Amino acid sequence: MSRRLDALASMRTVLAAPRDGVASTASRMLRSIVRVLFPWLVVVLVWEAAARAGYVNVTLFPPPSHFIRYVIENDFRFGIGPQGVTMWASILSSLLRVLVGLALGFVAALATGLLLSTWPAGRNFIMPLLQGLAPIAPIAWIPLGIVLFGVGNKTAIFIVFVGVFFVLTIATTVAVSSVDQKLIKSARTLGASGPQIWTTVVLPAVLPQVFTLLRINFFGAWMAVLAAEMVGLKNGLGAIIIMGREMFDTDLILVGMCLIGACGYAVDSLLLAIQRSVLWWKEPT
Amino acid sequence: MTLLKAVQITKVWEGARGLSVKALDNVSVEADNGAFVAILGPSGCGKSTLLEIIAGLEAPTTGDVRMDGRTVTEASPERCMVFQDLCLFPWLSVFDNVAFGLRRRGIARAELKERVDEVLDRVGLSRFAGHFPHQLSGGMKQRVAIARALVQKPRLLLMDEPFAALDFQTRVLMQHFLLEVWESFGTTIMFVTHHIDEAILLADTVYVMSAGPGRIVDCVDIELPRPRSYTTDAFNQYRVALTEQMEREVMRTYQPLAAAE
Ligand SMILES: Nc1ncnc2c1ncn2[C@@H]1O[C@H](COP(=O)(O)OP(=O)(O)OP(=O)(O)O)[C@@H](O)[C@H]1O
Ligand SMILES: [Mg+2]
Repeated sequence: MSRRLDALASMRTVLAAPRDGVASTASRMLRSIVRVLFPWLVVVLVWEAAARAGYVNVTLFPPPSHFIRYVIENDFRFGIGPQGVTMWASILSSLLRVLVGLALGFVAALATGLLLSTWPAGRNFIMPLLQGLAPIAPIAWIPLGIVLFGVGNKTAIFIVFVGVFFVLTIATTVAVSSVDQKLIKSARTLGASGPQIWTTVVLPAVLPQVFTLLRINFFGAWMAVLAAEMVGLKNGLGAIIIMGREMFDTDLILVGMCLIGACGYAVDSLLLAIQRSVLWWKEPT
Repeated sequence: MTLLKAVQITKVWEGARGLSVKALDNVSVEADNGAFVAILGPSGCGKSTLLEIIAGLEAPTTGDVRMDGRTVTEASPERCMVFQDLCLFPWLSVFDNVAFGLRRRGIARAELKERVDEVLDRVGLSRFAGHFPHQLSGGMKQRVAIARALVQKPRLLLMDEPFAALDFQTRVLMQHFLLEVWESFGTTIMFVTHHIDEAILLADTVYVMSAGPGRIVDCVDIELPRPRSYTTDAFNQYRVALTEQMEREVMRTYQPLAAAE
């Protein structure tokens, strides 16, 4: 009897083919990198060709070969004298700001959302406040952040934090109320206590949904950090662009823009990779 | 000896805008220690509601459920339930799904591994311990859900139409598998189904329910030797008798279109 079940079962695994081998993972990664880079390669080639042929003014709108040479010749340093910064320091400070803000906002929103879901009175009081605060775009928080925290990392982190915290807290409470009641009932008949149900059923059930919203809200937060760096903060990728404008150095402006795009894309890919590997039980959208 | 007794259970679901549904009306069922009890009824007659009340997941409007003579007030792994739609945790592997209840109760790691491995072996899923629910077929998921309940060593196993979604062949396999499990674990089973054949094949006692609101209309003891087969004459006599009865019940509540107007 159970041998027959076994045979049935093993037939099914062959068909289902669970995790693929290492080799195919590597080749799939390579293929997806090529798929992403190819359109950019075409754009760059057209741009370069247009510049060589004289259709584009190289001083006003330098092609990649021009501003990449500029970066290398300047030894990856921008600006003059004490105001100079390295490219790596700028990337690092922008990325750190956004990642720290996202992480704090995500954890705080999950905790607050779960807490509010268990506490109806608090939820009724706080929800209208959150719903009023959530639509304020992260960028709109910049002036208040600078007044409260001065020009520095704290302000940038604050802006990212408020940019995701309110939205994700609301999303968490919504996700909690839509958790399949049958999963909770299953846990109860298996002997899980009330608090255990929150940590071992509700939390994993809502994580993918809340994380998806984190990814969506990342772009707003990223833009806000750059805007903050452009208007007040003295360093980071946003500051590079402003430095370029002040020095009327289009090479520098374009380098800043490219780095912003690449870093934003990298963080989004990182978030997607986290979602795929840690929160895989719900297909990311 | 009687293990569980549900006495005169009535359940009214309070709906929005004052709409309420009487799902169960004065329903009494009982299960002896070690018995296999089936509850047979049409869709919507309140079978799931009844099981959830017996499990202690929902409170009856009136009446009570007694296990060993004590009134049931809350869910307990003693009365473990396998749900109609299985409800495996999608984020846990087969092993961790089965271990879920033991972990929550703080069972020591070595004992936990031993118990889970043993049950997985019993249901023929040892090789799939590391797989996740979405990688399994319907029948395999079914066995994980049953294993997850069995590992608790429940005294009463409540099963809500567990095989309804399976094709005929897989269902037959699973029915025999369940009987093997029942015989070797000695667990009392209360099994909800809308298949007449399934009830006769599995149960010692079949409660027949009718819909709107759900009531018990009959209780039939199946006195067939095991192992049973769908194709014997004796089986067929039960089949005919139960089918006639269910047909009568349906016709009693059936209103021809013309008459309804
Ligand atoms: N949580 C609930 N809230 C309100 N009404 C409910 C709830 N659960 C069930 N009902 C109602 O109670 C009645 C019985 O439902 P139940 O699910 O117990 O039937 P069932 O016999 O299990 O049906 P099926 O065979 O389709 O699973 C139905 O009319 C249903 O609409
Ligand atoms: Mg049901």
